[in-house]
Amino acid sequence: MQSEDEGEDGEPEEDDGQVDEFPEIDTRSDSEDEDADSEGGADEEDEDDEDEEDEADEDESESEFSDDSLRIFPKSTTVVSDITGQPKKVYPPIEPDYDSDSSTEDAPNRVGNVPMHWYDDLPHVGYDINGKKVLRPARGDELDKFLQTIEDPSAWTSAFDSKAQMDRPLSSEELDLIRRLQENENPDSQYDPYEPTVEWFTGKGKEEIMPLSAAPEPKRRWVPSKWEKQKVMKIVRAIRQGRIVPNKPKTASDKPQFYAVWDDQPSEQTAPLPAPKPRLPTHAESYNPPEEYLPTEEERKQWEETEKEDRERDFLPQKYSALRLVPAYDQFIQQRFQRQLDLYLAPRVQRTKLRIDPNSLIPKLPSPSSLKPFPVYKSLDVVHEKGRTRCISISPDGNWAASGDENGVVNMWEVVVGKVVKTWKFKGKVGAVEWCPRTDVCFLVVATEEQLHFIIPPNLPAALLAATQALLAPANLPPAPSIPSPVKWQSVSAAASASDSPILVVNLPPSSGLPKQLAWHRRGDYLATVASGEGQGGVWIHQLSRRHSQAPFKKVKGSVQLVLFHPTKPHFFVATQRYVRIYNLAEQKLLKTLQPGIRWISSMDVHPLGDHLIVGGYDRKLCWFDLELSDKPYKILRYHSRAIRSLHFHPTYPLFASSSDDGSIQIFHARVYNDLMTDPLIVPLKILRGHQVREGLGVLQVKWVPRQPWLASAGADGHVAVWCS
Amino acid sequence: MASNGSSEFSHPVVFTTQTAYPLPTQKFMIPASWRRYQLSQLVNKALSLDKPVPFDFLVRGEILRTTLGEWCTEKGVGEEETLEIEYIESVMPPQRMTSLPHEDWVSSVSCQEPGHFLTASYDGNLRLFDYSQKLLQTIPVHVAPITSAVFVQGYQSDDADTRLVATASHDLTARLTEITVTQADPSSSKALASLHLHTAPLTSISSSGTHLLTASADGLIGLWDTSIPINDEVPAEEIPSERRKRRKLDGDLESRPKRKAPTSVLKSHTARVSKAIFARDGGKSAVSAGFDSTVRTWDIENGVCTNTITASAKPFLDVALPSSAQTVLAASTDRTVCQYDLRTGSSTITPHIASLPHPATPSCIVVPPSGAASVSEHQVITGAYDGIVRLWDLRSEKSAITSFKTWEGRAGGRKVLTVDWAAGVVGIGGEGGVEVWRVGEGDRLPSS
Repeated sequence: MQSEDEGEDGEPEEDDGQVDEFPEIDTRSDSEDEDADSEGGADEEDEDDEDEEDEADEDESESEFSDDSLRIFPKSTTVVSDITGQPKKVYPPIEPDYDSDSSTEDAPNRVGNVPMHWYDDLPHVGYDINGKKVLRPARGDELDKFLQTIEDPSAWTSAFDSKAQMDRPLSSEELDLIRRLQENENPDSQYDPYEPTVEWFTGKGKEEIMPLSAAPEPKRRWVPSKWEKQKVMKIVRAIRQGRIVPNKPKTASDKPQFYAVWDDQPSEQTAPLPAPKPRLPTHAESYNPPEEYLPTEEERKQWEETEKEDRERDFLPQKYSALRLVPAYDQFIQQRFQRQLDLYLAPRVQRTKLRIDPNSLIPKLPSPSSLKPFPVYKSLDVVHEKGRTRCISISPDGNWAASGDENGVVNMWEVVVGKVVKTWKFKGKVGAVEWCPRTDVCFLVVATEEQLHFIIPPNLPAALLAATQALLAPANLPPAPSIPSPVKWQSVSAAASASDSPILVVNLPPSSGLPKQLAWHRRGDYLATVASGEGQGGVWIHQLSRRHSQAPFKKVKGSVQLVLFHPTKPHFFVATQRYVRIYNLAEQKLLKTLQPGIRWISSMDVHPLGDHLIVGGYDRKLCWFDLELSDKPYKILRYHSRAIRSLHFHPTYPLFASSSDDGSIQIFHARVYNDLMTDPLIVPLKILRGHQVREGLGVLQVKWVPRQPWLASAGADGHVAVWCS
Repeated sequence: MASNGSSEFSHPVVFTTQTAYPLPTQKFMIPASWRRYQLSQLVNKALSLDKPVPFDFLVRGEILRTTLGEWCTEKGVGEEETLEIEYIESVMPPQRMTSLPHEDWVSSVSCQEPGHFLTASYDGNLRLFDYSQKLLQTIPVHVAPITSAVFVQGYQSDDADTRLVATASHDLTARLTEITVTQADPSSSKALASLHLHTAPLTSISSSGTHLLTASADGLIGLWDTSIPINDEVPAEEIPSERRKRRKLDGDLESRPKRKAPTSVLKSHTARVSKAIFARDGGKSAVSAGFDSTVRTWDIENGVCTNTITASAKPFLDVALPSSAQTVLAASTDRTVCQYDLRTGSSTITPHIASLPHPATPSCIVVPPSGAASVSEHQVITGAYDGIVRLWDLRSEKSAITSFKTWEGRAGGRKVLTVDWAAGVVGIGGEGGVEVWRVGEGDRLPSS
């Protein structure tokens, strides 16, 4: 401490510029001595401390001695030289005793710096300088060790020497080193932290006179800075104008500046779940993945085709030979944007994707080629020169067809060849033509304005001709009905009859209009006509055997469009504009009213088995009724682009056809099962095109050829066609 | 061959033939760019014929119309595969010779009488033309349309120019009429007999010389002999009809036809019989086809059906027997002409051999006249409702060898209803009348 003070005292002297004598070694050496003393004192004190802890009865001399013994080298003494008169260090002479020779030491282990566990299993612990084994000293057990620590007062300052395999007491230098390290001191005991400064280049007489460079001194060294002045003036101006207030008045906020962070009650809510750890990247995510991780061409295509949400991975493995070739992440912007939307809690539409294969929605239908035969091509074309052909009928044996047009011409032609063999001409339009379904007689009925003409075709066998004539022009007329009917039956006598003119004419009541439809009962005795005229006289049922006509309905709701006889039961179908009513003729009551949901019924036909009915309308709909099932349609088909004009079931094949104003005919496979549990199978088979649309009218009537899967069609373009399979 | 360049591909080819010009069995390497012309030249050169004969080439049942390479690429045939090419003498393009206009449709044409054409029309008249298109006779035979007319071959008569003609009609009868071919006087013809059996319009009649076969829409086939009865075999129908009155008027004349009954009736068909013809074994058996999709073979002597070929949904319109093999050709409304094997018994499998597709309903088939040396026995002519007559080779069933349009320029329908083929002349009857074409009778062979 004194030396420090001295140093402090000395320095101001130096600053004062007093020139001292250069060697200050005297004071230095003194201080060194004092240092040594002080050190010794410090050691003493340390020793004392330690002694106080362990042994209180140690002397200072002992400590002095021990201080000497701490020195590795012999301690020097400073004596004043007799010659120079200067003090000098004198070291004690080395005595050549046993201590000075290391050879007298008992054989130290010379094994070198090797791990000593190499000798763990050996009886020796190394070799001495002569190559002799140094045997492992005997070591007691733990109890001996304990007793030894109690007995030996220096046991706590001893450490195990692995080379000697025994405890050695630490030397005082080592203990001093430990102590210094414990106290965070410099481990070197010779180190002086308070060494006085040696002024080598500064101080009196050592000032730098010559400048280091020859450059003239810059002006800024002595001229006051204008820039600083500007800055200062700016501040001064601001202060003057009051923009800078020296003591800004504190806002009167009583809110404490500091508050207890942990004062609030802990939250009742459960801690949010930690985010799941992202999966570690695999080989596929590598910029240089193995070849087998690279997608093939199909996989790449499939990945590109799938929706973004449906992809298994949101990336495709790509291979780059070096990391510097990897381009920038192309999804960066999108991902950031999505992430921002997430943070913003932006609601985004959850797209529920329809996972239905559209092909599975298509009903499984048999292929049309497996449902052959059905008509596929136009085989014949019979032309009516003028006027549209409204009606066609095929004879029950399938050889002849009769077609009537609006000019009053009825042609009879061969179905196979298409050659017109007979032509009849009537006054006014021909509304309907029907062959009698009986096979024991052969004639056809032509409906014109308020008249029905019964015609016998030419070239009949004699017996058939006679039977037909007997039916249509009997020799003795049946008795006239008691109630006179407005319908008059006029027949030519059989002898006078010819195939050129009708043998029987039925005159419907006046102003009944043109009969639009003729419907035969399957036995061929009853014939129903529907006339287009106004009033209730629209429907008439004519009985051939009694030559009698009657109007079955006194009053009908709505205007009757069509009538049909049931093929097996005594039922009668009457179609008004919107409803189809089924009457039981035997019991004379209404059985059922079908509601097709069609605005204007145009056509109707009943399946030959009698359990199913199809109804077509001008509003393009076709309704299939299962008569035993419901009043509502079993199926509603809408496939024509214009109004449906005509429907017909094939009498033997499971086919039906519909014709429309769009000029097309559609053929359907319609299989009806006797099993009540099985629904009817309706398969669209073929669209036959070939008729021209004239004045908005297309194909006006279609009729199947009995016994063959052929279809005859009459079009508004005056063509009658036969479509063959 | 070498001049075609080495860069082209060549196909190994083996030529076969059934003509009179066989090549040695040898494999040829044919460049892919060769067409029929080069192949024909090759065959001609290889045979070193005096007069070049044009050939057509059938590759796997198809006539080669493109180059060989195009054919191979179209069919996917590799270059290494050996193709077997059959060659046939090619047919000269048909030439239209004359046209015989008719007012009504012609249902039947017969060219069997040399120098003459006999036509039967829907107006009920038979017409006889000679080769100079001159109408020799118009014979009113029926009042109803005639559907079929044939010459009865081997008719023995006093006059060498007298022929017997059998006609079938819509009026439910067939008639035997004697005509004199040399005279232009219609009164020289005489109705000999009317055949009464059917209750529906007759569809065809055919003759074997001594017998007649009639087919009708009522499903019956009548077998008749050609002898003229002295008295009526069938009593006249006592019905008050227009026809009877006319017959009464006719009955006053001596030439009133005798009413003739069939020798036997062949019943098996369940629907309209379209055609019944005699087989080529001298009238011992017959073949018929009908709308019940069957082709039936009949033993005429016993009147029983010996074989039935049942097709599915094929109403047959015409049937013909090719001259050589035991096969039958039948035209059906499903637009095919099918060839069936007659030798197989009535097995469940339809013995279908070949099928010639048509774009329209084929209405008639005719096989080449027997004994015509210049015409291959594999050829057949069909007429269809689209007015096109096609010449087929039965070995090439994919497409016709040649075809020609009849009544070109005629407005309205052009249906072909009948075709007859005799000595290089094909008579076609139908909606537009009668046309006569020269088919297959080329100038390429020296007429022997």
